[in-house]
Amino acid sequence: MPLVGNIRDFGLSDFLYLVDRGYKTGCLHLSRADEMASLYFEKGKLLTATRKDDNVPVTDLLVRKGKLTPAQAEQAVHAHQNQNGASMSQVLIDLHLIGRDELQRVLQQHIEESVYALFGWSEGEFRFEQGQRPEPTAPIMPIPLPVEHLIMEGVRRIDEWGRIKDRIPSTDMVVKFIEQPIERAKGINLATDEWRVFARINGKDTLAEIARKTGMSEFDVCRIVYGFLTAGLVDVIRKPAPVPMLATGRPLAEAPRIKKSLVTRIINRIRGM
Amino acid sequence: MQTVKMVISGAVNAGKTEFIKTISEIEVVSTERRATDDTRLIKKETTVAMDFGRIAIGDDLVLHLFGTPGQKRFDFMWEILSEGMLGLVILVDSTRPETFRETNRIIDFFMSYRETPYVVAANKQDRPNAWSPEELRLALRLPAHIKVLPCMATDRESVKNVLLELLDVIMQRSED
Ligand SMILES: Nc1nc2c(ncn2[C@@H]2O[C@H](COP(=O)(O)OP(=O)(O)O)[C@@H](O)[C@H]2O)c(=O)[nH]1
Ligand SMILES: [Mg+2]
Repeated sequence: MPLVGNIRDFGLSDFLYLVDRGYKTGCLHLSRADEMASLYFEKGKLLTATRKDDNVPVTDLLVRKGKLTPAQAEQAVHAHQNQNGASMSQVLIDLHLIGRDELQRVLQQHIEESVYALFGWSEGEFRFEQGQRPEPTAPIMPIPLPVEHLIMEGVRRIDEWGRIKDRIPSTDMVVKFIEQPIERAKGINLATDEWRVFARINGKDTLAEIARKTGMSEFDVCRIVYGFLTAGLVDVIRKPAPVPMLATGRPLAEAPRIKKSLVTRIINRIRGM
Repeated sequence: MQTVKMVISGAVNAGKTEFIKTISEIEVVSTERRATDDTRLIKKETTVAMDFGRIAIGDDLVLHLFGTPGQKRFDFMWEILSEGMLGLVILVDSTRPETFRETNRIIDFFMSYRETPYVVAANKQDRPNAWSPEELRLALRLPAHIKVLPCMATDRESVKNVLLELLDVIMQRSED
């Protein structure tokens, strides 16, 4: 069953997180007005991205970028016809028409640019088709791209509080690392300001305190932490209040202690319904 | 007579009224009134007072189920409701990702007061386009120890299962 929605409500970075953590294989189709883009994933990593107005085989793309001659492209197309299932990218490497690293570099740059442009969409329908795979001739990267990297770049383009507030409702919240941030941080290149915030994360300081200590604005700190959060590097948690107060001004009563025997009675009753 | 209560919360249209109606022994007391704000776009009638259901556990014990009123979120009614609750069910309409953020705000509201035992019910699993419980867990960024359960509020066994799973969480925090 496809997952459908609008990126106005469930952002592209949220979706990438889902794909990554859910280890998903399939295609995310995005559309608005007359624009359409498709992002293909394998086990949570990005394989390729295509746009409706630029949906060309990898061979054409490489010719356009001056990395292949038309004759070489033709040779590859010919060889590819005799391969069943292999991607054109693999055929190009096998025929030594382009080096694997060079192919990765060219395709990655091209694909990243397509994806970053999508972060600028404030709305658009999305549909995720599980299991859907790209055409073998599509510009498939030899090494699938981890999405944390895309998420950080995408978040750098966010300039409104609204979206950030959804995950970080207050600057009084504490930032802490998740269990194994180092593993996840590998795929990410941090800008200087991002490093400054990253280095301050200690599980005790609030966002407001980090802003004060780094001399950065609260908005910038929140935006950066939002990126870490979306990439799955950190958590933001509420500072435990000493005595929680209700909005009505009364202190909160102690949590009710309940006896096991009573819970057992309720369980038995509901089982028997 | 001792009464204990559980709260059923979630965004507008998540299925709170349905959930309580399916399991309650009494006719659900629900004051429906025409909504005047944008919730009207979602459905014609929306709950403005609260849903209330009841299950007698024995002669001396009764379980009350309260649904949070759907549109004016986080007002004093929610506070009163949540005081002394045994546990909380957060219902999500699994077919509507546009309500996921609201759902996060609701969870945050309750947890800002106290770490209440709660489970998340991925409702309307019978509908095409429903996000699976595991997809919902990722979409809502729920920690691994929080249960996300498949649910059909229209189905009694399914509602029973959600309540039993919640009771299991409550049991772990109860005392001898
Ligand atoms: N298909 C399906 N519909 C449901 C389910 N639960 C609730 N609904 C429907 O969803 C709509 C909203 O449910 P309601 O209980 O009024 O939501 P509330 O606003 O949270 O009280 C109603 O039309 C219900 O009949 C379910 O599990 N499956
Ligand atoms: Mg209702």
